[in-house]
Amino acid sequence: MADSLLWVVLLPIVLGFAMFALPKAGDGIARGTGIVVSAAELLLVALQYGRVGHQVSYPWFTDSPWTAAFHFGSSQIALLFCAMLALITLAAAIVTNVQRERDFMAQMLLLEGTMMGLFLARDLLVFALFWDAMLVPVFIMLVNWGEGTAAAWRFLIYNGTAGLGLLLATAAYGILAGTTDVIGAAHAQSLAAGAAWWIFVGFAFSYAVKTPLFPFHTWMPDTYTASPAPLAAVISSVQSKSGIFGFLVIGFGLFPQEMHRWAPLLSLLGLIAMIYGALVAMWHDDAKRVLAYSSLSHLGLLFLGILSFNQLAIVGVLVYAVAHGLFNAVMFLVVGYVEQREETRAISRLGGLGINNPKLGGAMMVGSMALLGLPGLAGFAGELLILIGVWGSGQHWYAAIALIPIVLAAVYMLRVLLKVVWGPEVQDLPVRPDLAWWEIVAVAPLAAALLLFGLWPNLAAPAAHDVVNVAASVAAAAPATVSEASH
Amino acid sequence: MGGYLQYVQTLDYQALLPAMIVGGTAVIALLADLLLPRRIANGTAILLGVMATIMAGLYASLSYGVHYLAFGGGFVLDGLSVVFQEIVLLSTLVTLMLFNRRGVSEDRPAYVALVLWSSTGAMIMAGAGSLMTLFLGLEILSLSLYCLCAIARDREVAKEAGFKYLVLSSTASGFLLYGMALLFGATGTVTISALIHPATGIHGLYALGMGIFLIGLAFKLALVPFHIWAPDVYEGAPLPVTAFMSVATKAGALAALARVIYTAIPQPDAHWLLLPTFIFAAASMLVGNLGALAQTDIKRLLAYSAVAQAGYIVAALAGATELGIRSAVYYLAAYAFMNLGAFAVAALLSSDREEGTQLVAYEGLAARQPLLAAAMTFFMLSLAGMPITAGFLGKIFILSTTIHTGYWPLGALLVIGSAVSFYVYFKVIRAMYARVERFSHPEVRPPSQLPWIAVAICAVAVIVLTFVPVMPGDATFFVK
Repeated sequence: MADSLLWVVLLPIVLGFAMFALPKAGDGIARGTGIVVSAAELLLVALQYGRVGHQVSYPWFTDSPWTAAFHFGSSQIALLFCAMLALITLAAAIVTNVQRERDFMAQMLLLEGTMMGLFLARDLLVFALFWDAMLVPVFIMLVNWGEGTAAAWRFLIYNGTAGLGLLLATAAYGILAGTTDVIGAAHAQSLAAGAAWWIFVGFAFSYAVKTPLFPFHTWMPDTYTASPAPLAAVISSVQSKSGIFGFLVIGFGLFPQEMHRWAPLLSLLGLIAMIYGALVAMWHDDAKRVLAYSSLSHLGLLFLGILSFNQLAIVGVLVYAVAHGLFNAVMFLVVGYVEQREETRAISRLGGLGINNPKLGGAMMVGSMALLGLPGLAGFAGELLILIGVWGSGQHWYAAIALIPIVLAAVYMLRVLLKVVWGPEVQDLPVRPDLAWWEIVAVAPLAAALLLFGLWPNLAAPAAHDVVNVAASVAAAAPATVSEASH
Repeated sequence: MGGYLQYVQTLDYQALLPAMIVGGTAVIALLADLLLPRRIANGTAILLGVMATIMAGLYASLSYGVHYLAFGGGFVLDGLSVVFQEIVLLSTLVTLMLFNRRGVSEDRPAYVALVLWSSTGAMIMAGAGSLMTLFLGLEILSLSLYCLCAIARDREVAKEAGFKYLVLSSTASGFLLYGMALLFGATGTVTISALIHPATGIHGLYALGMGIFLIGLAFKLALVPFHIWAPDVYEGAPLPVTAFMSVATKAGALAALARVIYTAIPQPDAHWLLLPTFIFAAASMLVGNLGALAQTDIKRLLAYSAVAQAGYIVAALAGATELGIRSAVYYLAAYAFMNLGAFAVAALLSSDREEGTQLVAYEGLAARQPLLAAAMTFFMLSLAGMPITAGFLGKIFILSTTIHTGYWPLGALLVIGSAVSFYVYFKVIRAMYARVERFSHPEVRPPSQLPWIAVAICAVAVIVLTFVPVMPGDATFFVK
């Protein structure tokens, strides 16, 4: 039990439940505990970088109906996402300011633990377990601290159905392959082509809903809008990556041929998501909705990169996934700051925040710049690498069309920035104090990481090595005789 | 007669001992009522019942792995009978803990005795090796339940429940008996495993008898389309009785169904005889979950949910594979814990006058009693098949059974039914966790704190079963 890798998953879950032992009214104590625990979790994740590749496994059930194990393993790609999750959860914990903070903090920690388990899982069934478990804290937070329960239901029904698809596919995989202990395994079981086809459909459907990919996105703007800022920061930045992670690790790892077979459809949907998301983001007045649709647009770019089957694009995907997580977290937290102060997040109602609250304006600017892809920040590096990769894989038209929504990002983000930060002051807006130090401390590490990955995108390169079969999947989809000879 | 009796050995009675302990204690509980002052008698009866259940459970567990045909094959001791008896005893134990005072303050020893007798009936069904024993067990179970449903005599709805159950369940018994008669006519035997002789093939009369017999069982299991009675009866019966009916009755009937499917229907040439079970399973999974959508009373909600859950279990059994029976047993055990746990939570929200089964009683529970809300959350998650609960793993096992056996459309229907059921179970979770400005429901003091034990046991079991998936592993699960 002393294995620290296991504790990366267990610590937030165990302490999340233990939070309920704290006094009900002690909001300060609860927040303090939450910050300490999430900081400890960040440290635990950082420690794992000392022994990448470490694995820990406990048998779950054997042979009947198949073999599964509570198998966790650290890999560069898993740790990259874990580190991002730990950092963003810490930031969210610092600025949490809700009623019944103890219960909220407990749910945040449970959410963090389930997502850690998801990224570190080496068994498909464990992956599915955490995938479904993730829904519960989000649902509870949405019904208690969210705006209206309709969004919570929509979130649950969409993602629950996706989770059931994943369960069916996982069960089928387990029965047919005899084991689900295969994530990251060197020699994955190969399935009969017909079975692989529909098992992959189950997985891909589930990932596409969670990410989300057009046209499975309709739950997402509602959920992000209804969530309190810390929750929105975590789910928009990290939970959306669980689908991307699934495609990268499980899709490429176990179903390279199927990935290639479905690539035309998926990348077309990605392209549609990019353009559609960008157009809708230009039109909305609710700042959170703008962010939600911009997120849809950016996630589409990730799909484009993944399905170009180009190693450079995969590095770009990882850089951009991290960048997207970080600037989304910054932006949702900053919008939370604005809403807390001005009691609205309608862009048309806001204006001139840069005059009264220069620090707030500055934070918003940093986030927006990263989001619209300012060179030097991680967003730009990721976009560039993905586009080069897509171009390099011969999809010239896709690369060219993908430029349009990237330019549109500048349009809709500058629209927000020009109005909210630099626009004329709105007279009847309450004048509130500028950012407190802890509110800056929360977003500063995220901004620093954006800069770091922007200047040195190679940080994500080791993680890209964990995405196997990228080039091989192209070869594997070529005439069957070739692929059989290579095995 | 004497000639037959000399073949009955002590071992035969030992095989039946768990059921005899429980049934005998019921008589002692009634005697206690007669001899002791009322105040002492009430507590004594419950204590006796709890002790008898635990003793019977321990004794039955000792014979796990033993295979024995008692009373000339009339009662079978094998893996199946032990596991199902344990589940029946578990639900009896929890039922005894859930006693509330509503309408039964005067009759508690009688109440205990009736519960113990119906438990005896279910246990006999679990081990029934011949159609006669099966019917005997079923009638012991049902007759006691008729009285139990109507025991709160001052409530109109209870009387209605008792009467409805009496009429419909008797009809079902009639079906069952007619089916048995046809089966006997076709085969000349009442021993379940001897019903079919591989050499003779399938008689038309046999198929007819089997069909009618399965309909009778479907009535008892409340499988769609024979489920109409369940919501009303569940709602009218006192809470502990509802808890008992939703688990013990189903366990008894499922044991009988499993034994018939696995030993009396020859494989694979008579696979078409299993067709009704596929239809029952598919319809129950869909209709049960859809019916539960609109319910705001926990008892009615769990009644429809029980229809769907029975559908899941029948879906596992329908293919008559070894994996199927193991998945079904695992799921039934999980279901027993999660359902009984949910009823125990409802018992803790009940007052002397009113049962805490209205959804409104759960509003804001997470703020008032976080532990109780957390436990209920786990039970609901388990019913919905969400991690980290036994229901999740059980659903995985059943899904894998359907794929393994090659009837994956039933698995797909299970997925659709589960998707619908999210709304059902998360409605309760939402009620507990949603922000409420002020509680419209008055705080209640439960008549007894005993259900807390049941809640704790069930919650722990629901989680532990996920990590330690105990599946009965012995290959000779059925003795022919």
